[in-house]
Amino acid sequence: MNTLTIATLHQNLVKAAFAALLMLLPARLMAADAAPADKLSDGDKQCLGCHGFDGLKKELPGGKVLSLHVQGDGFAKSVHGAIGCASCHADVDLKTHSHKPKTIVSGREYSVAMTKVCGGCHAEALKQNETSVHATLLASGNPSAPICTDCHGSHTVTPKTAYDTCVGCHLAAMDAHQKWLPNAGLHLEVVSCAACHAPAAQRMVDLRLYDGAAKKWVAEKEGKPEFEKMARAVDTDGNGLDALELRKLIGQINRDEAAQPKNLRGRIELRTGGEAHQLSGKSKAIKDCAICHRQGAEPFQNVAISIFSADGKPLRYKAQKEVLGSVLSVDSLREFYAVGGTRNVLLYILLVLAVLAGLAVPIGHQVLKIIVKGELERAARQDKAAKGRDQP
Amino acid sequence: MQRIYVHPLPVRLWHWINAVGFVAMMLTGTQIRYVGLIDLMSFRTAVTVHNWIGFVLIGNYFIWLLFYLFTDKIRVYHPELSPTKHFKASFRQLQYYGYGIFKGSPNPHQVSAYDKFNPMQSMMYQVVMFLLVPLLAVTGVLLWDVQGFYGAVDFFGGVRVVDTVHVLIYIFFAFFIFFHVYMGSLGHTPTAHYKAMFVTGYEEIEEEPGHGGATKR
Repeated sequence: MNTLTIATLHQNLVKAAFAALLMLLPARLMAADAAPADKLSDGDKQCLGCHGFDGLKKELPGGKVLSLHVQGDGFAKSVHGAIGCASCHADVDLKTHSHKPKTIVSGREYSVAMTKVCGGCHAEALKQNETSVHATLLASGNPSAPICTDCHGSHTVTPKTAYDTCVGCHLAAMDAHQKWLPNAGLHLEVVSCAACHAPAAQRMVDLRLYDGAAKKWVAEKEGKPEFEKMARAVDTDGNGLDALELRKLIGQINRDEAAQPKNLRGRIELRTGGEAHQLSGKSKAIKDCAICHRQGAEPFQNVAISIFSADGKPLRYKAQKEVLGSVLSVDSLREFYAVGGTRNVLLYILLVLAVLAGLAVPIGHQVLKIIVKGELERAARQDKAAKGRDQP
Repeated sequence: MQRIYVHPLPVRLWHWINAVGFVAMMLTGTQIRYVGLIDLMSFRTAVTVHNWIGFVLIGNYFIWLLFYLFTDKIRVYHPELSPTKHFKASFRQLQYYGYGIFKGSPNPHQVSAYDKFNPMQSMMYQVVMFLLVPLLAVTGVLLWDVQGFYGAVDFFGGVRVVDTVHVLIYIFFAFFIFFHVYMGSLGHTPTAHYKAMFVTGYEEIEEEPGHGGATKR
């Protein structure tokens, strides 16, 4: 049975009446303050007519209470906002739903059952998840085993960094890594959890644009997508950005000299988000530093520069892998350097020359010694011979 | 032979701790940077050893610095302010190493407790001890905790610039170690300078006036 307290209902009705008054204002004024939920379809608005009230609850067998509240704005801004309520809740018949609500035994059971619905679109992710440590826990009957909605949320499904998502449960992750991993804080900041904890996945370098002054990732302005257009214009041969083209692009992004410069920050990510679901237990996670910190390491074979779209999705443009070790990247990639993995060939040549020069000093000096001594002895012999001839 | 005390104990201690540490830093640094090219130890072990020895060497640098700052021996690092005089003397020294030494000519530089470096050494060690070693240490500390020192790393131009400076100085020392060891064998006997720096602190020089048969390294 759905319950809604009188006080909450009154409060929400007042809000609704106020909203109706606002609708009388000219459309031009309203546009500036339009809530994200206003962009939803009429069908979705109809759902939110009830589920938008934050006191909407359902009593479950055993006396537990399940909140049925959906944050309209949060849902509208989520990656699922565009597909609408019915895409996931196709079993709901609006004609009968209000007086014949669904039978739900427990929130957990309902969410577990809904993972099949997630798989309707995200089949690959669900398949990858089948062998994961999370799925193994679920299969073993662990009531805390994470399911889709535990990591991704249910209605406000937005892209989050892997770290933020994972530490939601794995609170001791930082302490655990600091015990064995040099520069643990930096690693957890720039390496996606799945990059090590999904060892079979393929990795890549994601060079994300970062606003150091605002301390946040750069996102496209709504309605003005420019990033891909700019990258495409710079990448004249269409084979991915090389070091020079990357410099040019960063120059164009920072062409406004008055604004704080934006830089690329490198992250080790998985090539596809789906692969992030094949998470293994920590015993199988990558611990060998040389997987990344060596020349030609797998994560450095695929490079992209990226920016977030206005709705929070990563937009990527391919860059050539050589940009990571190019001398031209010293400034454009000033915030990304993985020792051993992104080394510069020029410095390697310099090292070889330095060692050769170091060896050449003693060898050269000893050769010089032999030559000079030989010459001195020859001169001495000639001198002696000359003196011998001069003597009667 | 006249014996002159030119390497006091703190300097000798600093020098040998530094020498052993530097070799270890070069090896672990090479291992860190060139995994696959050499495989002396795991990357993680190399990083751990590199970090620990790095801090030991920074502490050791202060033994050297404090000794020279608080004694009158700092005079050995005083630069020759006349460029003409300095370069003329350097050229004489170069002629000695390139020719005179082979025919037994006297060393143009007369070693003393307050003037132990010949003009070329003097310039070299001023650059090494007051510029390169501190820069190597500072960039090393920044790379040890890039996140913690983010502000400083950013000030110096980003982690790529800091690392490149660190590596360029490493490359210089990859040359310098060979050069230094060889020059140390050019005393009046091949082991004379090593004995002086390692054991006795005394350099042996020719008695003949104006002939400094021994130079430090």
